[in-house]
Amino acid sequence: MEEHLSINLDKIIHQKARLGIMSILVVRKEAEFNHLKKRLNLSDGNLSTHLSHLEKAKYIQIKKTFVKKKPKTICRVTEKGKKAFSEYVGNLEKIIADIP
Amino acid sequence: MENERQEALENIELIKDMVLQTKKQMSLSGAGWIAIIWGIYCWIGIAGSWMFIPQGIFEGVWWTGLGFIGLLATFLVVKYKIKPQPERSKTKYMRWFFLFWIPLLILAYTLALLCVFLPGLSHQYITIFILLVVSTGYMMIGFMMFKEMLFMGILGMAATILTAFFFLEYNGIILSVLFGVGLIITGIVINHKWRE
Repeated sequence: MEEHLSINLDKIIHQKARLGIMSILVVRKEAEFNHLKKRLNLSDGNLSTHLSHLEKAKYIQIKKTFVKKKPKTICRVTEKGKKAFSEYVGNLEKIIADIP
Repeated sequence: MENERQEALENIELIKDMVLQTKKQMSLSGAGWIAIIWGIYCWIGIAGSWMFIPQGIFEGVWWTGLGFIGLLATFLVVKYKIKPQPERSKTKYMRWFFLFWIPLLILAYTLALLCVFLPGLSHQYITIFILLVVSTGYMMIGFMMFKEMLFMGILGMAATILTAFFFLEYNGIILSVLFGVGLIITGIVINHKWRE
C-alpha cells in the first residue's frame, strides 16, 4: 500500500520548495525570480536548482530578459505543469481519503 | 502509512496557504482606490473653492496643491498595488486606464484652452462637455465590461442634460460633486469586480 501511494505522487513536485513554486505559478501563471525568492524565502542558488528541476520536467518555462539593463527572469507554468500539479493534488486527496 | 497521510495533509495545507496568499496578492481590487482618491479630490476641491477659497490665483493654487496630494496618493497605490502584479493583470488595468482617462484628460485640457482662447465659447460649458463625454465613455465600458458602469453612464448623461437645462448657473458645483460621486462609485465597482 505504501509503495502504491508513493508511486502515485510526482517526485518532481513532491518537495516543499517545488510544491510552493508550482502553487504560486498555477495561480499567477507567471512570476519573477525575485518574487518567488521572497515568497518562498529561498536563496538564489537554492531557487535556481529547484527551477531547473521543474524546467527539465517541462513543468515551467524560464525566460531571461533585460529591463532597464537589469536582468529579469520570468518563470511561467506550462500546460504539462498545470496537469501534473492537478494530478498531484488529486493524489494527495486520494491518500487522505484512503487511509482511515 | 500514518506518516504518509500526515505528509499529504501538510502538503495540502501548504498548497492552500500558497494559493490563498497568491490570490490575495494578485487581486487588483485595490486599484479602484485611484478612482476613489480622485473622487475625493473633486469633492474637497469644489467644497474648498466654493466655501473658503477666493477666486483667481488662490483657487489655482488650491486645486494644484490638492492635485499634488492626489498624485502622491495615486503613486502609492501604483507602487504597492499595481506594480507587484503579474504582467497580464497589470496590462489589463493600464490599458483600461490609458484608453479611458488619458483621452479624457486631453479633452478636458483642450476644452479649457479653447474656452480661454476662443471668445465665442463660454467657460460655463466646459464641465458639461466633459461630463457628457465621460458619461458616454461609461456607457461604452458598461456595454463591454460591467453593467454598473452602463447605469452610471445613463444617470450621468441624464443629470448633465438636466443641469444644463435647469441649473446652468450652478453647473460647476453640481457636476463636480456628481463627477466625484461617479469616481468613488467607479472605484468601489472596480475593487469589487476585479477581485480575482
